[in-house]
Amino acid sequence: MMAEEFEPKIVAFLCKWCSSAGSDLAGVSRMEYPPNVVPIQVMCSGSVSPLYILSAFKKGADGVLVSGCHPGDCHYIKGNFYARRRIALVKELLEFIGLDPERFQMSWVSAAEGVKYTQIIKDFVNVLKPMGPQTKLRRSQ
Amino acid sequence: MEKTLTKKSFPKWLKKLDGYTLYAPLFKDDVWSYQVADNPEKIELNHPNTVQAPKKIIYPQREIFFEFTSPEGEHPEIKEVLPEDNPSIILGVRPCDAKALTLLDKVFNDGYKDEYYWKRRESTVLIGLACVVPPSPNCFCTSVDGSPHSKDGFDILMTDMGDRYYMESLTKTGDKLIDSGGKGLFTNPTAKDKKELQKIHADSETKITRAVKDAKKIPPILKGMFESPFWDEEAMSCLRCGICTYLCPTCHCFDISDEMTSITPPQGLRIRTWDTCQFPDFTMHSSGHNPRPDKASRLRQRIMHKYQYFVERYKDYQCTGCGRCVSKCPVGIDIIEVLNKVRDHG
Amino acid sequence: MVTLEDLKHEATKVLKNGKVKYVIGYQNGTDQYKAMPAFLKDADEAEKLVWNPSCVHNLTKFLVDESRRKKGEREPDERPVGIVVKGCDSRAINVLIQEKFISRDDVHIIGVSCESTGVVDENKLAKKLKGKRVKKVDYGEDGHFVVTTEEGRVNIPAEEVLAERCLECKANYPVVYDVFLGDKEKKKIDDPYKSVQKIEGMSTEERWKFWKEQLGRCIRCYACRSACPMCYCDECVVDTINFVVEPDTKAEEKAQKIKWIEKSPTGSENIVYHLVRAMHLAGRCIDCGECERVCPLDIPIRFLNKKLEKEAQKLFGYEVGFDPDIPSLVSSFKDEDPEDFIR
Repeated sequence: MMAEEFEPKIVAFLCKWCSSAGSDLAGVSRMEYPPNVVPIQVMCSGSVSPLYILSAFKKGADGVLVSGCHPGDCHYIKGNFYARRRIALVKELLEFIGLDPERFQMSWVSAAEGVKYTQIIKDFVNVLKPMGPQTKLRRSQ
Repeated sequence: MEKTLTKKSFPKWLKKLDGYTLYAPLFKDDVWSYQVADNPEKIELNHPNTVQAPKKIIYPQREIFFEFTSPEGEHPEIKEVLPEDNPSIILGVRPCDAKALTLLDKVFNDGYKDEYYWKRRESTVLIGLACVVPPSPNCFCTSVDGSPHSKDGFDILMTDMGDRYYMESLTKTGDKLIDSGGKGLFTNPTAKDKKELQKIHADSETKITRAVKDAKKIPPILKGMFESPFWDEEAMSCLRCGICTYLCPTCHCFDISDEMTSITPPQGLRIRTWDTCQFPDFTMHSSGHNPRPDKASRLRQRIMHKYQYFVERYKDYQCTGCGRCVSKCPVGIDIIEVLNKVRDHG
Repeated sequence: MVTLEDLKHEATKVLKNGKVKYVIGYQNGTDQYKAMPAFLKDADEAEKLVWNPSCVHNLTKFLVDESRRKKGEREPDERPVGIVVKGCDSRAINVLIQEKFISRDDVHIIGVSCESTGVVDENKLAKKLKGKRVKKVDYGEDGHFVVTTEEGRVNIPAEEVLAERCLECKANYPVVYDVFLGDKEKKKIDDPYKSVQKIEGMSTEERWKFWKEQLGRCIRCYACRSACPMCYCDECVVDTINFVVEPDTKAEEKAQKIKWIEKSPTGSENIVYHLVRAMHLAGRCIDCGECERVCPLDIPIRFLNKKLEKEAQKLFGYEVGFDPDIPSLVSSFKDEDPEDFIR
């Protein structure tokens, strides 16, 4: 009968002090947003290693989001500045080997920006749906 | 059975070999390697030594032993995964690589017959090409009881005689394959052909430029050199990269590990992968102690395994003189030089 | 011109006066014309030294070995180690000093300039000479190499057989040294990142096809890692040597030990290994090209590192290996770092 519509799975690395709190605010305020996210709380966006991102893609994530505090607001002062550099390099590298650039995103979401968080997820899901499942980095048997 | 086959008819014969996957040396991405050959017309047997030995078709780098699931509170289930049925022919194998497979046969049949290895080995036909000229500038097969026209391990040995191949069939399988070419394709060799063959074979032995002199003297000398500082000197420039062992046609060390495909419920595969004595975790004990902690002990391990331990156990050198480790070592550690120095030590 | 006599003289001098423990240089190897590393302990061994276009190796890797050896000794010999370096290799020494892995006093650098050429790529040379056996390769006049085969001598324009990285060389003479041999003339390069543009010009799908095929051939021999002077971690992310198993280690612990990269040489694992290695070398790789040279399957992994080098310069204005006093790329930041990709 009707084929099941493809639901992309997004893995989101959210920093505990800002972005994760922002996503909690969205939840507590009963804001509606797509349920396609697997949130992983990390202490700081600066602690996100390229291995986490690649591991998420290997396990079949269709999209990966890294989200942290706005520059200047990091709980650990400088963590998000390091993240800004490192994630820029990871993004260039992933694009270079031919992964669709839309599958990997980074954002600044503060603890008060529940609305921004839901908007980011909604847009991400809409971008990923027509692209279909991610098969390139998925772990082969 | 001995026959001759013109080079023109060679692809015709290959096309008649039904039911086999045909592997041949092809030049792809700047390297020569054994690949599945879809088009017999494209096969030209004029290759230098391939980068990797054909051992990887019979003894692949990664092999699945079994699949397991272990649901909560229930008995774990194990499903054996034997190699698929895939009768294959490997074309253009050099005598050193075929002899290497006969050495691997000894290891995988020593007190325990390794089913995974033998299933592939028994369904693979080896058609060899004698080395009219050495395929590598570092060949030294004649020093280790080998020869550029040795028949060890082959079903058929082909020798290039210019416009035709001389085919010597050595097993029933080889006979069957030649017969499947049908009438008219092969011709019986004349006395002149046989004489020319002997001349080509005799000449090929003289063309080998490198040698380990008096290799027979080396195993007993090595036995007394275990504690020698000789190894520290030789291994100074070693990078511990492992290329020598990964390209070697006789090396067979392996590692068994589990690859989990899911954690809840626990599901996974038990796999075997190639291992090498040159990696830091080779013989690393689970306590953290490592009896071979440095480069010198690893170089010693490689040389002694090939030229002393294996000789003691199986009465054969575990080295067939293909020269790959010499050509590809990034820092030029040359097994021929090392062995010559060892012999002079004694 | 760099003369071999000057090089031998410099090595003999420091070995005779005992200033260094030993000198790392190049000597003739046994595989055709190729040079190999030499470790000279006495002054009379300096005769073995050679200097020609087949001296491709990056000898700074052996400084890493020396540093490890010293750590294991109870009363280490504190004298420096002499080393013969080309321009690219000297940048590697700067990075090791920058990361405080070795100190400037641990090395006595005999710098040799590549002048207007560089080192030879053995595959290109073999192709050019159509399989003739090569006996010797020497530096000639006017940007040529003099190649001696079994049939005699022939002059080849260096550009046709130079290693890829020499065509994009940023430092054709050493940037740090105790002794300098040769000319200090900067080689003119129109575009130091030309090789990367070929892949940048491909579409997403073309790029994926290229990398999937190339990295799919990898046999995970880790030669690239072993040849790289910057890969000096005691435990690499792919090895599991520091997981100690004791009698009371539970089965769940063993089963759930995090393995980022599996041992099998399958597609996804190979790609992740190479990407992680490229990330770990971001801002540290000086493009000595050893990783690509040692790869037995000729996989073009140098492009990955070159791309990150290009991005480091373009996005952050960072140049590797010229100044040992600047902080490393990923442990520093500027307020002006671009963030247009961040929502």
